[in-house]
Amino acid sequence: MTKRIAIVEDEAAIRDNYAAAFRREGYAVDAYESRAPALEAFASRLPDLVVIDINLKDDVEGGFELCRQLRAQSADLPIIFLTARDSEFDAVSGLRLGADDYLTKDISLPHLMARIAALFRRLDAMQKPQAESGRITRGSLEIDTDRMTVQWRGIPVGLTLTEFWLVHAMARYPGHVKNRQQLMDAAQAVLDDNTITSHVKRIRRKFQAIDADFGCIETVYGMGYRWIAD
Amino acid sequence: MNLRRQLLLVSLLTLVLPWAGCEFIRETESALRQSQQQMLSGTASAVAESLERYPEEFPVEPGGKHTPADQLYGHRLETAPLIDGYVNDWPLPAESLRQIGGADGPIRFVLGLHGRHLYLYAAVTDNEVVYASPSTIAVDDGQDSADRVVLVSANPPMASESLMFAAEAPGPVIAWFQSSFGFGPEATVQAHWQDVAGGYQVEARIPMNLLGTHLGINVVNAASEREAGIRSTSFVGQVPGPFVTISPDLTSLAEKLVQPGTRMLITDRYGWRIAAVGTPGTTMQPSQGAVSNWLRIAYKALVEPGTEPAFAEPDPSGRERQPYIATALDGRTSESWFRSLESGKAIVAVAEPVSGNGSTIGAVVLQQGTDAILSLRNEGLARLMNVTIVATLLVAAALLGYATWLSRRIRRLSGAAEEAVEGAAIRTALPSADAADEIGDLSRSFSHVLGQLADYNDYLRSLASRLSHELRTPLAIVTSSLENLEHEGLEGAPADYTARARDGADRLRRILNAMSEASRVEELMEHGEPEAFDLESVVSPTVDAYRDVYPERRFEFDCTATTTTMRGSPELLIQMLDKLVDNAADFSANGDVIRISLESGDAGLVLGVHNPGPPLPERMRSQLFDSMVSVRSDGSDRHLGLGLYVAKLIAEGHGGRITAENADDGVRFSVILPVGDTKLAQVGRK
Repeated sequence: MTKRIAIVEDEAAIRDNYAAAFRREGYAVDAYESRAPALEAFASRLPDLVVIDINLKDDVEGGFELCRQLRAQSADLPIIFLTARDSEFDAVSGLRLGADDYLTKDISLPHLMARIAALFRRLDAMQKPQAESGRITRGSLEIDTDRMTVQWRGIPVGLTLTEFWLVHAMARYPGHVKNRQQLMDAAQAVLDDNTITSHVKRIRRKFQAIDADFGCIETVYGMGYRWIAD
Repeated sequence: MNLRRQLLLVSLLTLVLPWAGCEFIRETESALRQSQQQMLSGTASAVAESLERYPEEFPVEPGGKHTPADQLYGHRLETAPLIDGYVNDWPLPAESLRQIGGADGPIRFVLGLHGRHLYLYAAVTDNEVVYASPSTIAVDDGQDSADRVVLVSANPPMASESLMFAAEAPGPVIAWFQSSFGFGPEATVQAHWQDVAGGYQVEARIPMNLLGTHLGINVVNAASEREAGIRSTSFVGQVPGPFVTISPDLTSLAEKLVQPGTRMLITDRYGWRIAAVGTPGTTMQPSQGAVSNWLRIAYKALVEPGTEPAFAEPDPSGRERQPYIATALDGRTSESWFRSLESGKAIVAVAEPVSGNGSTIGAVVLQQGTDAILSLRNEGLARLMNVTIVATLLVAAALLGYATWLSRRIRRLSGAAEEAVEGAAIRTALPSADAADEIGDLSRSFSHVLGQLADYNDYLRSLASRLSHELRTPLAIVTSSLENLEHEGLEGAPADYTARARDGADRLRRILNAMSEASRVEELMEHGEPEAFDLESVVSPTVDAYRDVYPERRFEFDCTATTTTMRGSPELLIQMLDKLVDNAADFSANGDVIRISLESGDAGLVLGVHNPGPPLPERMRSQLFDSMVSVRSDGSDRHLGLGLYVAKLIAEGHGGRITAENADDGVRFSVILPVGDTKLAQVGRK
């Protein structure tokens, strides 16, 4: 069955470009230029994935509002923020509202496609019985590569797609230092140093919320990060 | 010259007040003097006119051959001197003595009148006194040689008579009288001979009725008894000049005419004083006690020009020779101003000729002190001076205080204006902003300008991130379009062009990321939680990593700091170090050594990055760490002048500061980081 992607973007050129790319990948695309028509359409039928811009014309934070309402309708619906706003604050706000990913508009189309594919894959995996093959266990850490979920001491850790890929990249070979470029490649994103730093900080915080003594991600100054098996 | 000195100078202008007062007083003084002089002049001419009715009182020279030098003057004596050969009991000043030349030295003599007697005193310089013997005096009728003083008396046209004083021994002497009736001792004359060192003195009292109208003195100095003596005389020729003395009639007349505080002198045509009445009032000192010394000094300096000649008292010789009297004796009225040496006050003197028979027969002189004017003036002056000096001091003090206050406000304002732009953020609040005066206006316009500057600074600071933000959407359009285009299966040239366009868009994206880096660093510091860490253990491996990143440079790391523990964000500090090392690598050549050091400084840890290379241009030193400022001359697109700005943001966010200086054939950047507890602070933007 063809997956249906909804894109809410006020900039016509970008909207059309993305829509064209999605269609080329074989997705069905619904494009909306503002919040009201999008909500109206979503009320009757939810798409399989939503790509939202935060700034919708005069509706400065319309994307956040749309995300909140969609999350209220469905807990599973993958939501991706795709925006020009690159501030840390906006990213944190967007993810806190339940978005699965927060991407800036300088992401390349292939990267975007990879993420969308990953999200759909995860969605599919969630609906299938859990397969043992796609699991990596490192001490207290359990990674389900199919569902793209992570458990620490049996408790699920709510990571975004980017965060999952970063943890996955580090934990796959514990003790190996992953530099920023490697982490960036793993996360299918072009991120600058500060963004990676913030991501790592957020990941640590999410683990520490479960285990206050968590210290498996080590910063190797001047090099990158590595996972230390507990 | 600062404002205070300027206003102090201006306050000196208040000295114009006392000056103007003095000018006014001087004018008044001048007018008063003028009127006093005119009044005195009127009186003098009235007196002169009335005196013309008594021409007989003025001595007339019948012969006309005599000069005033041939005349003798008889001073009026208030008391009768004792006839003892000494002059010290004469009520006359020493200057009254007349002097003529003698054989052995000066001969000094004086004549006085008291009652009906003429008094004579003569002091003769004589190396060897030759006494007379009774026989020589009697036989020789005075023609022989003995030291003697002779009073020659004449009543022209009758023959001269003489009264001779010669001593047989010191002590009382007998006067010998020679007249047409013969030669003999004159009993009515009392005389005394006194020998003194270097000469002798003779004092005598002669009844007036014995003498004629013309008097002269001869002194004979004999060397021995047998030789004729050398004769010295007070007159030229055979007959002495007319004897002049105070006229009792004129004196009594003058006493009737003279006003109090005025002196009247009447002289004959040669200036001989024939009447002297009254005083010019200079001896009185009214209201002087009330005038303080400093005031008198000020008064003398400011009001009294002090150019008048010293006031001359009536001439002790009896003959008035002052120029204004001489002018009157030439027939012209004249006046003059004097200053009394005694009291320092001004005295006006008027001389008026007295005519008789068509020629000048004498002069009337009136002298009046300016007591009345002076006292009036002193009182007014004292008040004026006191008031104006107090006023001047008050105004000067007020102006000084005002200037101090004003300049303090201005200094505070300028200090605050200077400080306002020194920190990371511009403060627009300035002192005196509520004041309603021009300084308040200045403060407000300063605030306004500073506000605009702050806005502009904020604008500049946020320009990069805003620009990157605004450019991100069109860039996304370009890149997504290009990516879509690539999927259209382009081949050949279109594919190349698309690939180039992609490269360009990528570069653009990197530039935009660099531009927004500063704002992300600010955000991180705002939300970051500082942690305690060991800076050396952070920097040391980072330097190792640089060796891989910049293989063409050599790196040295040197840690001399004793304690390197600090609080902050190690990631951000590494980012800062990245910028500094990147900068150092850019400005150094292959094979150069970039030295990174960690030292203990006064203010905390000092992280230094030194690279050999060209020195920093002096004009860029202060702006080096500002946003979008680059000293690179090659204009490479990789550098927007944000690297050092980010480094500064991180340094200041850790409570430290960053400096750059030229050192050791290169450039050294130093980051001073406080070691104490530091909260990552948001800098720059609000």
